[in-house]
Amino acid sequence: MITHLLLGTMFGLVIGLLPAAGATTGLVILFGFMHLFSDPYLGVVFCMAVVAASTTGDTYSGVLLGIPGANSSAATMIDGHPLAKQGKATYALTAAITTSTVNGLFWGTLTFALLPWYMNLMMIFGVPELWAFTMLALACVGFVSNRFWIRSIIAIIIGTLLGMIGVDPITNADRWTFGWDYLADGIQIMPMVAGLFAIPEILDGLKQGSATTQPHDTSGQTWDGIKATWKYKWDALRGGAIGAFIGFLPGIGGGVADWMAYGSTLATHPNEEFGNGNIRGVIGPEGSNNAQKATSMIPTVLFGIPGASFAAVLMALFMYLGFELGTPDLAYDTKFFSSLTYGFMWGTVLVAAICIALNKYICRISYVPYKYYFPLLVGFVVWACAQYTGGWEDYMILAICSVLGVVGKAYKYSRPAMLMAFILSYKVETLTIQMNALYTWDTLMTRPIFLGLIICIVLLFVLSLKKNKLEYA
Amino acid sequence: MKKLLTLCLIAFTTSAIADYTFVVPQKPGGGTSVWAQIIAEQLVPFLGENIVILHQPGARDIPGFNTWHNDLRDNDKIIMVSHGGNGVAFLQENVDYNYGDYESIGLMNLNIIAGKRIGADMEFPKFAAGSGQTPEAWAMTMLICGPDKTMAFYAACFKEHVTWVSGMSGGERRLAFKRGELNGTRENPAAYKKHVEPNDKAEIWFHHGILQADGSHADDPNYPGFQLEILFEELWDAPPSGEFYDAYKLVKSFRDGMQKALWVNKGNPNAFELQNALTKMSQDPDAVAAIQKKVGQYDWLIGEAGNNHRDTLMTFITAEALQNLVWFNTEALGLASVYKEDLVK
Repeated sequence: MITHLLLGTMFGLVIGLLPAAGATTGLVILFGFMHLFSDPYLGVVFCMAVVAASTTGDTYSGVLLGIPGANSSAATMIDGHPLAKQGKATYALTAAITTSTVNGLFWGTLTFALLPWYMNLMMIFGVPELWAFTMLALACVGFVSNRFWIRSIIAIIIGTLLGMIGVDPITNADRWTFGWDYLADGIQIMPMVAGLFAIPEILDGLKQGSATTQPHDTSGQTWDGIKATWKYKWDALRGGAIGAFIGFLPGIGGGVADWMAYGSTLATHPNEEFGNGNIRGVIGPEGSNNAQKATSMIPTVLFGIPGASFAAVLMALFMYLGFELGTPDLAYDTKFFSSLTYGFMWGTVLVAAICIALNKYICRISYVPYKYYFPLLVGFVVWACAQYTGGWEDYMILAICSVLGVVGKAYKYSRPAMLMAFILSYKVETLTIQMNALYTWDTLMTRPIFLGLIICIVLLFVLSLKKNKLEYA
Repeated sequence: MKKLLTLCLIAFTTSAIADYTFVVPQKPGGGTSVWAQIIAEQLVPFLGENIVILHQPGARDIPGFNTWHNDLRDNDKIIMVSHGGNGVAFLQENVDYNYGDYESIGLMNLNIIAGKRIGADMEFPKFAAGSGQTPEAWAMTMLICGPDKTMAFYAACFKEHVTWVSGMSGGERRLAFKRGELNGTRENPAAYKKHVEPNDKAEIWFHHGILQADGSHADDPNYPGFQLEILFEELWDAPPSGEFYDAYKLVKSFRDGMQKALWVNKGNPNAFELQNALTKMSQDPDAVAAIQKKVGQYDWLIGEAGNNHRDTLMTFITAEALQNLVWFNTEALGLASVYKEDLVK
């Protein structure tokens, strides 16, 4: 079992380190190897270790290179990358990983220990609440990440339009595909992430020709990073609580939690400067991502309803292993739950130990000029994007998204807002359709959680107009 | 060029050790993808050759099937894996593939079960929409609106009674049903056992029956007395008949009658070897147990039986049934269905 844990952790870490790749990519790769697990419970351990390790590992490329490892680490990047430029990469990464680990363990424990209890809570959140949560997430990323809110709205519109390419949910017919079959399944997430973030940063690095930072004394940064987590523990715990809650809601993954956590960190400290290397801006969103992964397992395991995209893939992998998530029988399989818990919890601990021990060595990549490793970087990014069909269409979409990313960055149109709008647009559209079909104004007015969330959206908009100074694009 | 690139992709992904390739029109993790993986694993020992899964995803799982039809089916080692959704698309969308051009290796014919909330007023169902739910829309319209009406009457009746909720994924549908936002839902038998039967607030509403070799539908022994035809007769004192029923039979048969199927091009020299291996696999208790554990219990129709089954389905396609299907789906369900005159020919 230890061998599987170790292998899963190492594999997840390597995937997490790759720009634009994340837990979902890592799990998809496993499809060809599931028959190698003679004991299915060991397969569960391996998969959960991959989830834990890749989620922790994807912070690296965001902080060191300014490229999110997966969409869930984009929020961390806003303050994390400036810290790396200031020569504090080890500090930022250690704080991020410590926060991630603590929240992963805390919420992981609660998740796996109290799994059956959540069933009733899940029933409270209907279509209107899910709609309002999605809108709140959009508002967070749109108005929090960039003070140019008109440009943010334009970015949101562009992202939304791109996200709507594919299938019309009412007529079930192709929409805006220009007769290109490939587009009928929509633009895929990986080329969008890579095009918006990875390629512009790589080009920028090449243009500058220099390293992210110059070699300097990093002694003490590891310990400082750990201490920062304790010092800003409330930001970390708030981020964890937000991540845990969002993970619990089915289908609302894709970085929503990180952005809401980042937004709440900004809102809690209105007099502090963010976007130029504030460690709170790293700790807040990092608190949420492992917590979200842990609680995403709740709807996945209990109901067979994936809490996020990685959970959908995980569900299929478990199916190969003979575990049908969402079936009552599985609830009595204590060995399954033990394997699930063991893989995630020890995977989290192990990857944290490896990362913290090696941080100061891994961070040396920021001393190396881009020109030496950009071919490798481009290779990884292109590889991640070609995982959909492997055909020329994947490369074409990457090229188009890259143009969008370069233009967005140059003219300060919020790329995170564009990405989130892209991810959530179909969700917003379908939830709006569902809400219109199933509810009236009168029935909506009787739902306190829905009304509370609407008030939060309005408040967020007003506050961001008055307070937001961020210029990240 | 496209064909060349696709063949290069196949060569790259299947590697030297691959002898057969299953083309699945979905991303890894989709229901048919999982099914194909499991069948491939069980089939390999009887086939004596390796099988690799090649995912060719795309909207509504159509592009993958089209790619196989246009570019890959001449390769004797490349097998298509299709599902019921492909059958519905075949009837009402512009697709390139045509079941009449292929030879069946084997297919699984299964039933779909509709559940309802206990005590819910099913005169006014709230049901998740989508082309995959089309047969259920037709069935509930018949139950609610009665026999021998015009198509226009059925469309109006459906709109008046049914809240048809678009844009729900399978997971969302299941959760909305559990929460009571929807009062009706539908599942295949394995998923019904998993998601509906354990729910103490749910019970069976109806099922479509199991397609027989003579083209009739028989009651499902697992849910006796709940076949649409039986319920209809009890409710309206007459068996279902007429143009609306014919169109309903057409669409339910194409979705459920070829729920999971393996196809090769006509004249493929490996067809016999594949059918033979599938027959042995379907008779092996260990293989059957492994498949049933993961995907439920369905009967196989192998080789000629599969071809005959497909031919029976084709006899349901008449100009009137197809026109009515497309008209109702467009008018009442809001789907962008197209009438394919060539299909009738």
